Amino acid sequence: MDDRTLDLLLSRVEKPARYLGSEWNMERKEAYDFRFALCFPDVYEIGMSHLGSRILYRVLNDMEGVYCERCYAPWTDMEQALRELGEPLFTLETKSPLKDFDIVGFSLLYEMCYTNVLTMLDLSGIPFLASERGESYPLIVAGGPCTVNPEPIAEIVDAILLGDGEELEPELVECVRTAKREGISKVGLLERLAEIDGVYVPSFYRPVYENGRYVRTERLDPHAPEHPRRRVVRDLDTAKYIGRQLVPHMQIVHDRVAVEVMRGCTRGCRFCQAGYIYRPVRERRKETLLTETRDLVTCTGYDEVSLLSLSTGDYSELHELLPRIIDDMAEQKVSVSLPSLRIDSLLKDDLEKMQTVRKGGLTFAPEAGTQRMRDVINKNVTEEDLLRAVTDAFTAGWCGVKLYFMIGLPTETDEDIVGIAELARKVSNAFYRLPKYKRGSGFRVTVSVSTFVPKPWTAFQWCAQDRQEEIVRKQQLLKAALKGVRGAELHCHPSVLSVLEAVFSRGDRRLTGVLIDAYERGCRFDSWAEHFKPDAWAEAFERNGLTMDEYAHRTREIDEPLPWETVDALVKPAYLKREWARAQEARTTKDCRQGCNGCFGEHCEDYCRV
Amino acid sequence: MKIIAAFEKTKEISYTSHLDVQRTLQRAFRRANLPLAFSKGFNPHPKLSFATALATGYTSAGEWIEVELDKELTPEEFTERVNAALPGGMRFVSAFVAEDGFPTLSKLLVAAKYVVTLYTDAPVTTEDLRAAVDAIMQSDEVIVEKKTKSGIRPANIRPEILEAEAISASDGTAIVAVVGTLNAAGGLRAETFARALFERLSVNGRFTAHRTALCFEGSDRLPRLR
Repeated sequence: MDDRTLDLLLSRVEKPARYLGSEWNMERKEAYDFRFALCFPDVYEIGMSHLGSRILYRVLNDMEGVYCERCYAPWTDMEQALRELGEPLFTLETKSPLKDFDIVGFSLLYEMCYTNVLTMLDLSGIPFLASERGESYPLIVAGGPCTVNPEPIAEIVDAILLGDGEELEPELVECVRTAKREGISKVGLLERLAEIDGVYVPSFYRPVYENGRYVRTERLDPHAPEHPRRRVVRDLDTAKYIGRQLVPHMQIVHDRVAVEVMRGCTRGCRFCQAGYIYRPVRERRKETLLTETRDLVTCTGYDEVSLLSLSTGDYSELHELLPRIIDDMAEQKVSVSLPSLRIDSLLKDDLEKMQTVRKGGLTFAPEAGTQRMRDVINKNVTEEDLLRAVTDAFTAGWCGVKLYFMIGLPTETDEDIVGIAELARKVSNAFYRLPKYKRGSGFRVTVSVSTFVPKPWTAFQWCAQDRQEEIVRKQQLLKAALKGVRGAELHCHPSVLSVLEAVFSRGDRRLTGVLIDAYERGCRFDSWAEHFKPDAWAEAFERNGLTMDEYAHRTREIDEPLPWETVDALVKPAYLKREWARAQEARTTKDCRQGCNGCFGEHCEDYCRV
Repeated sequence: MKIIAAFEKTKEISYTSHLDVQRTLQRAFRRANLPLAFSKGFNPHPKLSFATALATGYTSAGEWIEVELDKELTPEEFTERVNAALPGGMRFVSAFVAEDGFPTLSKLLVAAKYVVTLYTDAPVTTEDLRAAVDAIMQSDEVIVEKKTKSGIRPANIRPEILEAEAISASDGTAIVAVVGTLNAAGGLRAETFARALFERLSVNGRFTAHRTALCFEGSDRLPRLR
């Protein structure tokens, strides 16, 4: 794209820095023979915050002769500008159209970004359906957590990468590069790809529906495995890492150094898809973390570091690591934050230590209001744990706390909803019970409530989602129950979005048609309330002879074939069934650090090292 | 000690905002491992201030800043270290150590020089352009709709225009050099001047602006108006 056109585009949009590139640590390459477009189907501020993309950017650019560039979903103003000028969407590094790349790869972090994938393909002149793309188009691939149910986008992409990408992506690139050199046909390439552990080539499988429901999948090509498996990187200490982290010009959502302390979680919360699909837990050594933190701070100039994982409080050496990192960083006036503290693992000393640098927000996630409900979801946290933790925090000077809850959980009753308000009341009382000289002022307890979405590969994958009217009723019940709780503030996630999320997370291939239809009716950025078009979605479902109800609000039979089981997320269905049975009896399951619960079945030895 | 320095901002990152530039400089200073002096308080931040802001989309040959350091550093060392830590499109071009009691840059600022390029939707000749510039310079009033805190209202920008000169015009591109007042209270914006020109030329289009210099008074070490 020439300078003048770029200038014209940039002058028309509200936040031009989203499309500029040239950030500090951006990769600049002269000599390369293979081009990879790393695409994130949401805006720059969100995509740039994604740790996985940061890792892949480095892994791919560390490959000889490979140039990996980034592309994000254009905001609606840029989309309009591109259409008006008849210009294609472009990458940030060299301002090239996606069509010029060998591989176009999408990171799928949440289902509500699927329409943005279509926007990005559309603005690149790339046909939506894999079957409509001939030899001349780039290979379209997708990875990320959504791919544990790849079916709703299975007809769009050529290949899907399951699980950790650090080792898988280079294998993909090498395979495509060799095929390109040898002049192999697309089908030939796909057959080779299908043989890579962790690759799912959807066109080699055909789902069969009977009486309007999915019944089985037929395998069409002998090169394709019966159940492509999720890939797992065993050792995150020796794995390639972020290296020189990009530093954006504009403010992004997570505008700081991110250090991954471990991957996976041993808790086994039954609603939590991430908890199931990132198993087994893999900790990085604390020396690795200290070095990486220092290096990242030096090469970025950031003054904030976040120690990331699904449950950083469970990191086994946290209490050795945290003081060292905090001391190390304090010298450079760099603050350290832990985004996901476990209530029961929080120590007063750590809190006081963190306070010395800069006071971040404090967030806890009890997830449910009563002990019974917490036992159902296997969130092994008690009221005493929470109250002790907040009291410690309030004594240490914090005067606000945010509590995350879900409503619409399986087996939930009104008592569980009111229990949320009761818990908030006790937290509030814990603050006001402290003597005045010991506590701060301007107390806030923020109750943040989202709607439960049943996800594939969880113990709740068979459950029906509450209907919208029921969710709204429960929200109102909670609002009323929170009256009179000092300092309480209620935030409810709009439930209409959760329905669509429920549909796509447990959807099948028939949703591809709905998706394209909805896109053509103008659906974009569906996770942004101001862009979400419920009517357009409803029309798209109707046109395709499907209902959201069937996908979101229907209880699956326990032995019903599930469309996502064509792929193997490693966690065994038998284990999930056991967990569902225990949930219904409100029986908890121990943290697997305390003993194996058999989630990998006969493959336990192969995958798990806990 | 206080270092006063100027950086250029080129097309590559002209579409970053003033806030973005502030952040970029702060981070570059940290990457350069400068002995920054921090403000006191709970959220310590480096003592860095700008003579003025540059509008998003403009380029500049010299944006002046002042920064406090805890230790001695030569201007050459400052420039070299920071330039090695700056992203493409930003580079320090001059620096000096301010003597004690040196006034704040924003207090010394009086004017700014721009080259404004108009991309017109109808052809404009150099003569047309000259006539339009002359018309502006010879009027007592140049009324332009101006965005203010209290909404859009007509304003006379003529007193803010110190000098203007038609450089050239051909192929739908018209180039003008303009000098306008600029201080802490405000001043001429290249954007309003461009609009006044479009109006005089009776054409539509868009423009780009390049700030060629910031002009100061009261110190020989800073660029002056004349």
